[in-house]
Amino acid sequence: MNEMVRTTNLTKRYKGAAAVSGLDLRVNEGRVYGFLGPNGAGKTTTLKMLLSLIRPTEGEIEIMGQRMDGKNRVKILRDIGSLIESPSFYGHLTGEENLRILQTLLDVPKENIHKVLQIVRLDGQGGKKAAAYSLGMKQRLGLAGALLSFPKLLILDEPTNGLDPSGIQEMRELIRSLPRQYGMTVIVSSHLLSEIDQMAEDVGIIANGQMKYQGTLDDLHSIDRSKSLEEIFLDLTGRERSL
Amino acid sequence: MIKLLKCEFMKTRRRYVVVTALAVTAAMLVWIYPRHHSGDLLRLGWMANLYELPLINSIFMPLLSIIVSSRLCDIEHKGAMLKQLAVTKRRGQIYDAKLLYGLAIMLFCVVLSWGATIAFGYIAGFEGDVPIKLYLFYLLFTAAPTAAVYIFQHTLSLCFKNQAVTFFSGVIGAFLGTFSMFLPQLLWLRRTLLWGYYAVLMFVGLFDWSKENRYQYAHFEVVGVDWSFFVVLLFICAALYVIGREMFKRKEM
Repeated sequence: MNEMVRTTNLTKRYKGAAAVSGLDLRVNEGRVYGFLGPNGAGKTTTLKMLLSLIRPTEGEIEIMGQRMDGKNRVKILRDIGSLIESPSFYGHLTGEENLRILQTLLDVPKENIHKVLQIVRLDGQGGKKAAAYSLGMKQRLGLAGALLSFPKLLILDEPTNGLDPSGIQEMRELIRSLPRQYGMTVIVSSHLLSEIDQMAEDVGIIANGQMKYQGTLDDLHSIDRSKSLEEIFLDLTGRERSL
Repeated sequence: MIKLLKCEFMKTRRRYVVVTALAVTAAMLVWIYPRHHSGDLLRLGWMANLYELPLINSIFMPLLSIIVSSRLCDIEHKGAMLKQLAVTKRRGQIYDAKLLYGLAIMLFCVVLSWGATIAFGYIAGFEGDVPIKLYLFYLLFTAAPTAAVYIFQHTLSLCFKNQAVTFFSGVIGAFLGTFSMFLPQLLWLRRTLLWGYYAVLMFVGLFDWSKENRYQYAHFEVVGVDWSFFVVLLFICAALYVIGREMFKRKEM
């Protein structure tokens, strides 16, 4: 299986304190990779480094077999869709106008706008100002923007934040379907074990900036059959059950 | 770059950036013109403009720069759009496109107020012909400091999420720049301030003005164009651009 993302000794330090330390991420092509960790574990920092939004202090990033550097950054990023932290949008413009701007920048066909609005089930809402959207609709708009170019790699940081239970389920199903329907590889981060358990095939568990486990979800289950997945996760991250 | 500029135009829909800029320019014109309607100022009108307008510009143009840069950049911060743009295009291109769009609005307002100044002179009946060569110098010496101030404001607006930083540094700068015009003995002050270059590049002086007779025996004369400081200003523009662009490129999002 080809590796879509490979990092070597990826490290980010802020004023000497390591937010991410020596991370060796391996994401296989055509899979949903769940990036799991407690709040403040370093998930968002890692994803931001993959997208060149912040610079690594040390280490290397390879995406689609190409080592990411200043020269090929934009070329590689053209094949990546992302939704990091909060969804990005211009509140004074309609959902469709927002996507129109991204479509112009990405130089993708206009038809993609309606396709992605349909995929995220915002069709019929595209003419409404984004500021008037509910949190869940904003999240969907953000996802529509990430899908607009039908990228090879999709990076989603806590995509179910702000969604109601039915929205979470829809999002889950959508994410699960992306590799099958569009051949995408998806990295999805969450601090919720149950969410990753239902979405991902592979999983990386990060705590205190360090990778504690990486492999298939099935292998994670088989670490200790006598323990629940939650207990295994807590053991790996060194957290108390109350967390 | 054309695509990015097109997107800048699309983004400002319903933001009324140009309308706001025109409103500020109109306010400036309304403030200037009623004074020149009568007496000696009609005789001295054309030259009086060249003497007085740099002072007005030193107040209004930095204010306009704050408004335009802030309105253009705030939408990116509010919608967390910089992250999205930065994974789509080179950061340097994003900085350039926004700067070009903002500068175009600013220069449009500069040219508009310049044209309105001349038109008003004709309507008010200023004596003699418009000294077009001097007015072209004036246009250049208004546009250059405005561009420098705008580049500075643009960088702050783009790099700082909190637009109060942009606002206060712009207002304080504008105040100091205007203040420096009243201190001709402290030439170093206006020369070291970005906002002071409206005064540095003034090339018309007022002579024989008195409290008693006011403009009755007064006259304006060209005291010389100091090109060396114009060149200094161009270097300042280039330095502000290079530093600002690099700051934005290095910004962690």
